Amino acid sequence: MAGAMRWARFDPLGMLGIMAMLLIWAAMTRVLPPSSLPGPLSVGLRLGQDFFAAPELSFYGLPDASLSGSMIYTAENVLVALGVGAGVGIAAGLLTARSATLRALIDPVLMTAGTIPILVLAPFFLIWFGVGRASSVLLVALYVSVMLYVFAQRAASGLDPVFEQSARTLGADRQRILIDVLLPSTIPQILGGIRIALAGCWGLEAIAELLGAQYGVGKIIEVLAGATDVQGILAALVLLGVVAVLFDAGAALATRRLARWSVTTQIGHER
Amino acid sequence: MMRRERWLSLGVLLLMAALWQGLSMLFRAEAVPGEPMVPGWQVLATRTLLSMADYWPGGFGVPGVVSGAARSYAAAGLAIVGNSLDTIVRLYTGLLLGGMLGSGLGLLVSWSRWTRRMVQGPLQFLRMLPLLAMVPLFQLWFGIDFIGKIMFVAYGVGVIFFAGVVNAVGNVPQIYIDNGLTLGASRLRLYRSVILPAIFPELRASVLLSLGTGWAAVLGAEYLGAQSGLGYIIVYSEQFGYLDRMMLMALLFILYASLSYAAFDALARRLLAWTPQTARGIVIE
Repeated sequence: MAGAMRWARFDPLGMLGIMAMLLIWAAMTRVLPPSSLPGPLSVGLRLGQDFFAAPELSFYGLPDASLSGSMIYTAENVLVALGVGAGVGIAAGLLTARSATLRALIDPVLMTAGTIPILVLAPFFLIWFGVGRASSVLLVALYVSVMLYVFAQRAASGLDPVFEQSARTLGADRQRILIDVLLPSTIPQILGGIRIALAGCWGLEAIAELLGAQYGVGKIIEVLAGATDVQGILAALVLLGVVAVLFDAGAALATRRLARWSVTTQIGHER
Repeated sequence: MMRRERWLSLGVLLLMAALWQGLSMLFRAEAVPGEPMVPGWQVLATRTLLSMADYWPGGFGVPGVVSGAARSYAAAGLAIVGNSLDTIVRLYTGLLLGGMLGSGLGLLVSWSRWTRRMVQGPLQFLRMLPLLAMVPLFQLWFGIDFIGKIMFVAYGVGVIFFAGVVNAVGNVPQIYIDNGLTLGASRLRLYRSVILPAIFPELRASVLLSLGTGWAAVLGAEYLGAQSGLGYIIVYSEQFGYLDRMMLMALLFILYASLSYAAFDALARRLLAWTPQTARGIVIE
C-alpha cells in the first residue's frame, strides 16, 4: 500500500535521493576512466543522440536501429507476454483454489517450470521456436503465468469462506459466485500481482533478447557489449529502467482506479 | 496437502517425464545431425551422461578426455561434481558478500527517517534495472574471472537485501521503538535489542528471493565468460546444439535449486521458532 501511495504522491525526498545517486555517480567518474564509467551527463547525451537514429549500430549488423524503435519492440513483446501469461495464470490460479484435485494436477507442472531460471530455459526456446518474437514472448509469458497463478490462487484461497457461504445461502449458483464474489474480491490482489509481474517482465524480455533476437533493447546491449561500449550499454539500461519505472507508475495508478471498491487496498505492497 | 493429492502430484511429475519420452519418440527432428531436438531419457542416461567426461580436465587418478583417455562414467561423475562445486562456491560467496553489504548498508540508511525516505527513489529505479542484462557491464568492470562473477551475484543479491532491510525497518511498529526509548535505551541499544530482532522474520522473504536471484545471477555470470561451472556447460552446449547436455544441466539445476530452498526453509523454521505464528510464513509462499 505504501509503495503505491508514495508513487502517486512523488515523495520529494525520493527525488532528492535520485539527485544524490547521480552526484555519487558523477563523483565516481573523477576516479575511474571514462572508458569504464562514463559520467551521467555523457550517458544522457548518448541516450538523446541515439534515441531516434543510431547509425553506428548499423556497423554491427543492426540496420536502421534506434533506441526508441528497439524500446517499442521490447515494450510490445512485454505487453503481449503479460496479457497471455496473465490470462492463463489467473484462470488456472482461480480454478485450482477451488479444486484440490485440479491443484494437485497443475501445481507440479507450473512450479517445476517456474523454478527453472530463464537462462536455462531460453536456449531451449531459441532452438525450438527460433530467434524471432515467438521465443521471447513465450518465455516471458511462461514466467508471468507462474507468478500470477500463485497470486490468483493465494487470493482465492485466502478469501473468507463466509462470503461464498452467504452467497450460496441466498441461492447463487457456481457461475454467479464466480462473477459476483470470487472475481471482485480477488481482483485487487491479482492487480497487485500483475504490477509485480510487469516489473519483472522487462528484465526477462531483455535477457531473452540478449541471448538471441534480431531486435530490441537486449539485442542492442548484446551488440554494444561486444564492442565494450560502456556508455552505450548504460544509455540502453537507463532507458529500460526509466520506461519500466514509468510503466510501474502507470500500473499503480490504474490499479488504484480499477480496484476502488476494495476495502483492504493491499495493492502492490512490495517487500 | 493431503495424501491423495501428494500421490496425484507425484503421478503428474511421472506423467511429465513419460510425456517427454513420448515427445522424443514423436519428434525425431535433429538440431544438428545426431543431436535430437527432444532427447529422450535413454539418450540422457547413457550418451549424455558419458559426454560429461569431456569437461573433466583429469585428476584423482581419472584421466581427462583432453589427455587422450576414453570417456568414462567416473570422469563424467567427477566433472559433474567439480563443475557444480565451482558454481555453488561462486553462488554462496556472492550471496554472503551481497547479503552482508546489502543489509549493512540498509541498516546504515535506516538510521534516520530522512535518509530512509531519500533512498526510496534510487531504490525503485535500481530494482527496475534488469539484472541479467547487466552481465556485460560487470564483465567490463570486474573482468571475467572469479571476482567479476562474485561481484555480479553480490550486486543482484545486495539490492534485494538492501530493499528488504529498509522496508523491514520501516515496518517495525512505532510502539516497540517508543517502548525501548521510554526505558532509556540508546540508539545503538535500540538497534541491537529491538530493531534487529524485529526485522529478522521479515528478512525471510528477502533470503528466499535472493536465493532465486542468486542462482539466476551466477548462471548469467558464467554464461558470458567462464571456463567451468554449470552455466559454462550450458552455453558451450548451446553453441553446438547439444540439447541433451542442456537438458541434463537443467535437471541438475532444478535439483540444486529445490534442495537449497528446502534447506533454507528448514533452517528458517528453526531460527524463527520464537516468533509468533502470524509473523511466520504467511506473507510469502
